[in-house]
Amino acid sequence: MAAGHDAAGSPAPLAGLRSEDPIVADRIVHSYDGRTRALDGVSFSVRRGEVYGLLGRNGAGKSTLIKAMTTLIAPTGGRLSILGLDPRHDGRRIRERIGVVQQGESFDFSSVQGNLDIYGILWGVPRDERVRRREALLRKFGLTELRARRSFDLSGGQKRRVQVAREFMHDMDLLFLDEPTVGLDVLMRRTLLDSIRDEVRRGLTVVFTTHNLEEADYLCDRVAVIEAGRIVVEDSVAALKRRYSGKKTIDVTADADHAEAFFRALGPALGDAATVTVRGTSATVLTDGAKAGLDAILDVARTTGTSLEWLTVREKTLEDVFLQTVGPEAEERGGADAR
Amino acid sequence: MAAPTLARLVYRNVRVNADPATLIILLGLPAMYLIFFGYGFSSLASSGGSGTGYLAFLAPGIMAFQSVMAGTVAGSILWADRRWGMLAQLLVGPFSRVEYLLGIIVTSALFGLGGAVLMLALAVGLLGTTTLTTVGVASMLGAIALGSVLFGGLMLLLAALVKSNNAYNSLQILLIFVVNFASTVFYPLSSGLPIGLKAMFVANPLTYIADAVRHGYAGGFQASDALGFLLLAVETVVLLVLATRAYLRSDVSME
Repeated sequence: MAAGHDAAGSPAPLAGLRSEDPIVADRIVHSYDGRTRALDGVSFSVRRGEVYGLLGRNGAGKSTLIKAMTTLIAPTGGRLSILGLDPRHDGRRIRERIGVVQQGESFDFSSVQGNLDIYGILWGVPRDERVRRREALLRKFGLTELRARRSFDLSGGQKRRVQVAREFMHDMDLLFLDEPTVGLDVLMRRTLLDSIRDEVRRGLTVVFTTHNLEEADYLCDRVAVIEAGRIVVEDSVAALKRRYSGKKTIDVTADADHAEAFFRALGPALGDAATVTVRGTSATVLTDGAKAGLDAILDVARTTGTSLEWLTVREKTLEDVFLQTVGPEAEERGGADAR
Repeated sequence: MAAPTLARLVYRNVRVNADPATLIILLGLPAMYLIFFGYGFSSLASSGGSGTGYLAFLAPGIMAFQSVMAGTVAGSILWADRRWGMLAQLLVGPFSRVEYLLGIIVTSALFGLGGAVLMLALAVGLLGTTTLTTVGVASMLGAIALGSVLFGGLMLLLAALVKSNNAYNSLQILLIFVVNFASTVFYPLSSGLPIGLKAMFVANPLTYIADAVRHGYAGGFQASDALGFLLLAVETVVLLVLATRAYLRSDVSME
């Protein structure tokens, strides 16, 4: 079902959602138990040939959204279109055109080469093409020396490489990557991200979830931040950074004996122009004026008798944007007295 | 051209499960039953005779027993796929959930038939004689294939319902023991059995499989075998429906 053509007479799709996009999610709701909502009205669309990042804390709803988009679960509400097809009725046709790298491990009891081979066979890749792809992927992901090893005997990072490489054994129009770089070293992480970029240049559309915001910054065209089953921010990485470009980030660490009093006094001293995110004895301050912010911090340190163990001013990163969109609510619960 | 979906799934199941450890359990255990019990009880019964009378009785029973062992393969595949993440991975692949289950069931039947043929070869080798006929072989293979699907369905049901690895393994061992020894695999259904045990024999599908294989091994097909096949078919359908429903309801987690 494409958005806007619901026979049940549901409301028209939200403005901005284009039915020709590979993914159109229109007010998606999902509840596992009928009471709490893992997804609570999620709407977005992913354009052909872009890398779309889903960011969010553990339990925010990212994996549930991936499950819905890959036909593993049927959303309890809203309208979802994947490659122009309705997952409720065309699940198999969708699955024939997507690739999925799961968050968790998944292996057959076989060697590295065997796992790639079996996966190619499962996808119906012709023998010659299968061998060609297998060899290319073994080389690309540094697995040639490990080809005879049982997948279960590999290290965490090596397993992840096999899992990602395996997914490229078959053709696809849409690739879902659920935290694919967990456990990978820096070089292999960059190899993977560049491989994805190459595939995107050839027309592949990618949905990418990660906790690593540098990766999202490097790879994604647009990102959405999910919190409590809702998208709280969605934009291009560049636009998000621009949105907060006037702001500076101050990182401050107080001595343990005075940290609580220091952060309690800091919020009111900074006023509404700043956001404070506290973690233990450290905090990140997002402020319009770096000088005013530093002055306030130093004043509060003096009046509370606090020694500052760390104090820096830097430009905003995507991580700061993430913290600002997701962090304050969380930190207000855990550190409300710091404001 | 790519092979049909079901064939690809079956190939994968066979390739992944045809490891030495699985094959030793699958084929070695029934072979040991045949050799140790066959010769042991034959010598006890004949006390100095040729020592093959019980062996000739037991051989077709052990072939029938292969259907139970094949059923454990079905349960193990589902369990291992869930445990090692391949279930969720396959379910986002170009297959339907029912095709995935069918792939397991067909794999189970292949293991059952393969094992039974090997046990037949072993029995012929040990006994040195054979009375095989085309009808008898067809009946034997039909009973074992049907039995493998039936026990495959039973083990799939168990694997779908039981979430603990230890509980699943314990239940599977208990089930194999009861099904195996409360059947006509090792001894005939005689009037001397206690009524409760006799009822278990009659209710046990393996009894009908063993009887049909035994008759087929002797070169024939009896009217009672036709009734047995009918019962087995009905039980198989019921178990497959229950297993499919339980499996479709079970949570498939990606994490």
